[in-house]
Amino acid sequence: MAFLDNSGDIIIDAVLTDTGRFRLAKGDGSFKISKFALGDDEIDYALYNTTASTATADLEIMQTPILEAFTNNASSLKSKLVSIPRNNILYMPVLKANNDKENALNTTLDMYVVAVDETTENNTDQATAPFLFGENFTNGKHLRIDQGIDSDAISPKFSIESDLEETQYIIEIDNRLGSIVSQTGPAARIAFIDDDNIASYYLTMGTDQSYVTKNASTTEAGEVISGPRGTTLNFSIQSSIELNTSTFLFNQLGASGLSLSGVTGNVRYIDTTVRIQGATTGAQIDLPVRFVKSE
Amino acid sequence: MATIFKTLSSDDITSTRTLLHENVPVTGTIVSGSTYEDNNIKNYSHGMFQSVYDYPYLSSSANHLFDLSCGYASGSGMNSSTNEQNSKKINIYSQMAQVLVGYDATGSVLRFDRDGDLSGGSKLQEAYFMNLSRLIAKDELKKGTFSFQIGSNTAYASPFNTQLTIGDFGADTTFRANSPAGEYAVLYTSSATPNADSGVGLLYYQAGVAVLTASVFGSTIMDDSSTGGTAEAILTGSNIQTNADALRHRFYNLSFNNTIELNSTIYFCNANHNEFNYSSNPTYLSSSSIRVKTGDAQNAPSSYITSVGLYSADNELLATAKVSEPLKKDPSSTMTLRVRLDY
Repeated sequence: MAFLDNSGDIIIDAVLTDTGRFRLAKGDGSFKISKFALGDDEIDYALYNTTASTATADLEIMQTPILEAFTNNASSLKSKLVSIPRNNILYMPVLKANNDKENALNTTLDMYVVAVDETTENNTDQATAPFLFGENFTNGKHLRIDQGIDSDAISPKFSIESDLEETQYIIEIDNRLGSIVSQTGPAARIAFIDDDNIASYYLTMGTDQSYVTKNASTTEAGEVISGPRGTTLNFSIQSSIELNTSTFLFNQLGASGLSLSGVTGNVRYIDTTVRIQGATTGAQIDLPVRFVKSE
Repeated sequence: MATIFKTLSSDDITSTRTLLHENVPVTGTIVSGSTYEDNNIKNYSHGMFQSVYDYPYLSSSANHLFDLSCGYASGSGMNSSTNEQNSKKINIYSQMAQVLVGYDATGSVLRFDRDGDLSGGSKLQEAYFMNLSRLIAKDELKKGTFSFQIGSNTAYASPFNTQLTIGDFGADTTFRANSPAGEYAVLYTSSATPNADSGVGLLYYQAGVAVLTASVFGSTIMDDSSTGGTAEAILTGSNIQTNADALRHRFYNLSFNNTIELNSTIYFCNANHNEFNYSSNPTYLSSSSIRVKTGDAQNAPSSYITSVGLYSADNELLATAKVSEPLKKDPSSTMTLRVRLDY
């Protein structure tokens, strides 16, 4: 009986995503593969048996069945592998929504609620429940995301190591519903909108100072990161013109007749998710967002 | 600095071309009507050709196999205004000839040549055409694999008592390229010695068309409802549909290999020893601590690869690939994943 040939490299077949096909069909040269990333979406690292021997600790992980490739670009490679030259890192940074300082989270819904027009804004009571304002966004709440090592084992007085400090964030939001703005500065520039209407924004420290800032706080008050802190991302959501002026998308994507605490009268609503990802560390967080409009 | 993308250099990308071949056997019982009682045969009101399917064509499961037609040149001795569908038969011949043989210096349509030497020799003036569908012919037919068995017994009722095998014998080395439709070869019977006069048809590889001279059927009774019923009799006295029916009646077997040109780009995704050892998977951390390190910073990090994403310069995911089982990546290993994208 012959031996199996295990020489050489691993060959795997790739499938085009919907965006890949879209760009290929456009024929304008926008289909050009220039980089790659590795993902581990199916892996549950909680299965790593820390009490077992090194040889058997990852036995369950290695038996994880792998799904076939999704062709929806938004569904694939949601968690990516990260390259850090050092091997002696025990703690890695995370992203956390800072609801202590900004108090933008509706704790009843466990969502961030955006009033999409001035009528709805005027019907809200911020003392009852927090609201982001989609039209007069400077008057409403805004979102704050903190980055850092969320561990009590290291004091926040220590600086986060430079290679773990996130300097660029990617925000993805359904472009039909809203766009990213800052409370003090100009609207963020869209990097691209994919075939599913998901707009991506790249916000960089130094370049986008009204969005990304260094978190120099070393105290506990108003902070959600327990250990060394990196940067913070602040932004608001401006409702789209469609949501502001029409009920079409509410009828198509959402529902109506909702009685919401803090709003006078019933509202129409659409639920969505805003994804924030660190462009260098890969850390990510999904924020559940509800757009509401007074009936 | 931490990174999640790695740029592919020109040395990491290569292109390959692979030819895939499928063997396509078409059994005569499907074509001749004994399996589906001709429910897999589609005729048209224009009467120019007949389509053959592998299943009753009203079913969504049916696949188009080929079309059958026939015709003769305007200079053929069969050309007569009293013939059934005379002009349509001439039109079919001319159409096929202008596409497959082309034109002479004066712009006149050339006729099918028996040995492919257009400068002279005898011509195939009366012919049956079998146009293979793209579904089974794919990009082209593989040379030297075409084999068509027909019933050559004279009696109509027992056509397969004797058989004739027609093929592109030796065509993998002796084919012609003087057609505007690509490469072609001369069809011979299996017993024939190839020479200028022994060809019984032409096979166009890229076009997927077999041209069969009507004379190959000789005096066999092609249709018992017509007077005489020979190929010559029905070419003149019957319509194209009847001729297609007659050809199917003597269709015993057909087999060939098709060819699919597969163009691939292979991306060599290299993960060096100090790359991709950490993960942004939400389960990777417990209170910001890396689980696989088990609390000791000196332990090696590790991650488990399940997918590869190919991205554009603006970070749009253009293609994805999956491995069959998780691949462990740690600082003691390097890895090259060859990701193939077919076009």
